[in-house]
Amino acid sequence: MIKKTRQYKSELAVVGAGIAGCAVTVFAQARGIQTTQIGNSGALAYTSGYFDLLGADSSEYLKDPWAGLAQLRESEPDHPYSKLTDQDLRDSLDEFITALKKMGLSYSSPGEKNHLAMLPAGACKPTFCLPETMFKGTLAMTSRAKVLIIDFVGLQGFSAQEIVANLKSQWPQLRAERMIFPEMESGAQIFPEVMARALEVPATREEFARRLKDIVEDAEYIAMPAMLGIHRPDFIHSEMEKLLGLPIFEIPTIPPAVAGIRLRELFEQKLPALGATVISQHKVQRIEFENKSIRLYLQDSYGPVEIEAEKLVLASGRFLSGGLTADQQEVKEPLIDLPVQQPDGRENWFCESYFDSAGHAVNRSGIVVNEKFQPLDFKGRVIDKRLYAAGILLANQDWIRQRCGAGLAIATAYKAVKSLS
Amino acid sequence: MNIIDFKARAEELLPEGANYDACLACGLCASGCPASGFDGMDPRRFIRMAMLGMNEELSTTPWVWTCTQCQRCAQVCPMNIDVSVLVGVARSAWPKDKKPKGIVRSCEAQMRFEGTSAMGLQTEDFVEIIEETAEEIREDSVQFKSLQAPMNKKGAHFFVNQNSREPATEPEELGPLWKIFDYVGADWTYASKGWAAENFCMFTGDDDSWEKMVKQRVDAVNELGCDVWLNTECGHSFYTLWKGVERFNLQANFEPDSLVTYYAKWIREGKLPVNSDWNRQGLKFTLQDPCQLVRKSIGDPAADDLRYVTRKLVGDENFIDMQPCRSANYCCGGGGGFLQAGMNEQRRAYGKRKFDQIQTTEADYVLTPCHNCHSQIEDIGGHFGGNYRVVHLWTLICLSLGILGENERKYLGPDLAKIGLAGDNE
Repeated sequence: MIKKTRQYKSELAVVGAGIAGCAVTVFAQARGIQTTQIGNSGALAYTSGYFDLLGADSSEYLKDPWAGLAQLRESEPDHPYSKLTDQDLRDSLDEFITALKKMGLSYSSPGEKNHLAMLPAGACKPTFCLPETMFKGTLAMTSRAKVLIIDFVGLQGFSAQEIVANLKSQWPQLRAERMIFPEMESGAQIFPEVMARALEVPATREEFARRLKDIVEDAEYIAMPAMLGIHRPDFIHSEMEKLLGLPIFEIPTIPPAVAGIRLRELFEQKLPALGATVISQHKVQRIEFENKSIRLYLQDSYGPVEIEAEKLVLASGRFLSGGLTADQQEVKEPLIDLPVQQPDGRENWFCESYFDSAGHAVNRSGIVVNEKFQPLDFKGRVIDKRLYAAGILLANQDWIRQRCGAGLAIATAYKAVKSLS
Repeated sequence: MNIIDFKARAEELLPEGANYDACLACGLCASGCPASGFDGMDPRRFIRMAMLGMNEELSTTPWVWTCTQCQRCAQVCPMNIDVSVLVGVARSAWPKDKKPKGIVRSCEAQMRFEGTSAMGLQTEDFVEIIEETAEEIREDSVQFKSLQAPMNKKGAHFFVNQNSREPATEPEELGPLWKIFDYVGADWTYASKGWAAENFCMFTGDDDSWEKMVKQRVDAVNELGCDVWLNTECGHSFYTLWKGVERFNLQANFEPDSLVTYYAKWIREGKLPVNSDWNRQGLKFTLQDPCQLVRKSIGDPAADDLRYVTRKLVGDENFIDMQPCRSANYCCGGGGGFLQAGMNEQRRAYGKRKFDQIQTTEADYVLTPCHNCHSQIEDIGGHFGGNYRVVHLWTLICLSLGILGENERKYLGPDLAKIGLAGDNE
C-alpha cells in the first residue's frame, strides 16, 4: 500500500507532553518560535491539579517557599532550582498561569506563601497555586468554616466520611453527606469524569443543585470531589455557585481524576490554536542529529511520521513516562542515550527503609545540564548545542519528596526556551 | 464456546516492546469509556481479568458487543494500552449463531456478490440506479448536462466507493457527491467489483471474512490501475481497508485516502469556492469526528481538515466544537456494528453521552462524514428528545455552491429547504 510519510518541519521540536513539555510549547510559541510537540500525556494524567513550587525541605512542610528556595540553593547547589533565580521562577509561573487562564483554565495567582490544601483522603499538603475551582478550600480551612463535604453512591476512591474523620479533631464543623448523582441511580460504579461531563449539560446542573439544596442545611461552603466540568470548569463552578447561592470548592480525587483530563484536553486543543503542531498520545521512537537538522521519527497506527527541527527540548519525564528506563544494572535515557547521572551500582539505589527521610538516591538520578539547560556529558561538556532538557528528567532533584514538580517543570521549560531563543 | 488464552493472544498481537503488564490499573480507560458498566464490565476490568487468566469469563461476556472498538481507551491510556484488540479476539471466540445476527448477516451479504454490498444490492442494480440518477441530474440542470458517474474506467485517478444506503434507499443523495466531482473536474470511477463501502466482517471477529472482503476490494482497485482509493463519507470502510491491507499483508498498488481530505484540499486550492453566505440565519453547527477516520486512522490532521471545511461552510462564528473532540472524541455508539447488533437499549444508553455533548453545544445541525454516526446520532436525537438534525458534508458543500437540487435536501430542516432555489428571494 502506498502511504506517504507525514512530514513536519519546525524550528523547535519538544519531546514530552506533560507540564514541562506543554510549558515549553507555550513559552516558545509566545516568542514566535514555531514548535512541534510530540508525546503521550503520561504522568500528567495523574496530577491533583495543584501546582507546587517547593513544599518541603528535608524534614518538614514549608510555609514560605521563597525562604525554602534560598536555603535549598545553599544546601543543594546542583539542584536545578539552583540554576534559576527567584525572578525566573516568578516570571515563568506568572506567564504560564496567565497563558492557562487565556486558554480557559484559571489558577490562583502565584504569591508569597504556600497554601495548605486538601487531598483525597483528608490529608493536607502545602502547594503554591490552585485551580480556581479548588481555591476556596484553602479559605474554608483557614477559617475552619462550616463545610458540607459530599460524596456519591457508586463513586469509588472518595469518601466524605473519611475526610471528615481525618480532619474532625482540628476542624469540628465539617459534615459528610452521601448523595445520588442525577441519572446515575443504578448503584453501578461511577467516575468523576462522567459526572464532570454530565455537569456541562445545564439541565443536569439544575437537577444536581436541587438535590444539593435538600441537604445543605446551615453549611457555609460545599465541598465535592473534583467534578465541575472538564471543558469549562470555571464556568460550571460559577454556575453551580449561582444555583446554590453558596461558595463551592473541589477536593482532588485519586486517578482517574478530572484535573489531569482537564489539562490534557486543554493542551491538546489550545496548543494547536497557538500555532504549534501537536502530535499527541504518541511517542518519538528515534532521534538523529544531523549536521543541518535534527530528525525525529515515530510510527502511529496509520504509519510513519517524521519531524525535522533545528533545536530540540527533551521533556520526556521519568520512569512512568519512559523518559528514563532502568534495568538490572543501570538507569538509561532511552531516546538519545544521554549520560544519566546515577548512584554507583544498583545496591546504592535505595535506602534500607522505604520511609527513610533522606529519600532514595535513585530518585535523584537523571540528566545533568548547564545553566542554559543543555545536557552535559560526564566531563561537563555540552553534548549538542541544539539540545536542551527540562522537567523532572533532570538530575539532582527529588520532586515528589520536595513537592516541586510543577514549579520545576514550568521554570526549567522557561529557562530552556529563553536560552534557545 | 471456545475459550481463549487472552494473555497469550495479547503477546502475539501487540507490537514489539508493548505489553499489558504496563497497565497501572489507574482506570482512565474505564472512566473515559461510554460502554463502562454494561454487563458489569469495563476496559480496566477486561485487562485485569486477562492478566489474571479469567479466560472463560472474557470469552463469554456479551460486553464485547457493546464495546465499539473505538480505541478511546488506548488514546487516554498513559501507557497506550489498546483493549479493543482483545475485544476483537473475544468476538472471534463466539459461535456464529450466538453472535449478534445483524452484524453476521451484513457480513454474509457482503460475501455473496462481487459488489460487496452489505445490503445485498447487486452490481447490475447499482449500475441501473446510478444511470437513472445521473440521467435525472443531466435533465434537471444545465450546469450538469454532461455529468457522468463512470463505471470501471481504467486508469482513473480516483476509485470511489459508495455506501449501499444511497443507491438502495435514497439515490437522490448520490447527486451532491457527483456534482462535487464534476465541479472540481475529478477523474474518478466506480467499479462493478468491490464498489460498496461498508465492511462488517471485521466487526464479527471473523478475520478470514475480513481478509477476503478487503482482498476483493484491493484486487478491484489494482485491476483498474487507479492511483487513489477514495473513501466516501463513511468511517469504518476506511479503517477496515487500510488496516486489513497491513494485517493480511495484501498487495495494494494505490494510496487510500478520505474524501474529507480532498474536500479540504479542493477548498484550499479554490476549486470548491464555498462560503457561508447562505447561513443568513446564523444556524449553529457542530461536528462529529468519526472514530474510524480520526482516532483510529489519520488522527488529528483529519480532524483539522474537517474543521477547516466546516468553518468555511457554516462560518467561523457558527461552528461550535463538542467536547471532548478530535482524537479524544467519544464514539457515537453506532460503531463497531452496534447499530446493526439489535441491542437498542444499551446502544442508546451508550449514545446518551453523545447526546449530552450535542445538547451542550446547542447546535441546530450535526455534521458528520460517517453513515453509522449519522444514523446513530439521528436515532438518539429522536429517542432523547433532541432538537437537531444530522447532515452530510456534501449536502452543505452543494448548498453553499448553489448547486443543491430540491430533491437533495432530505436531511435539511425547513430553515434551509428553500435556500438557493428559484423563488428564494432573500
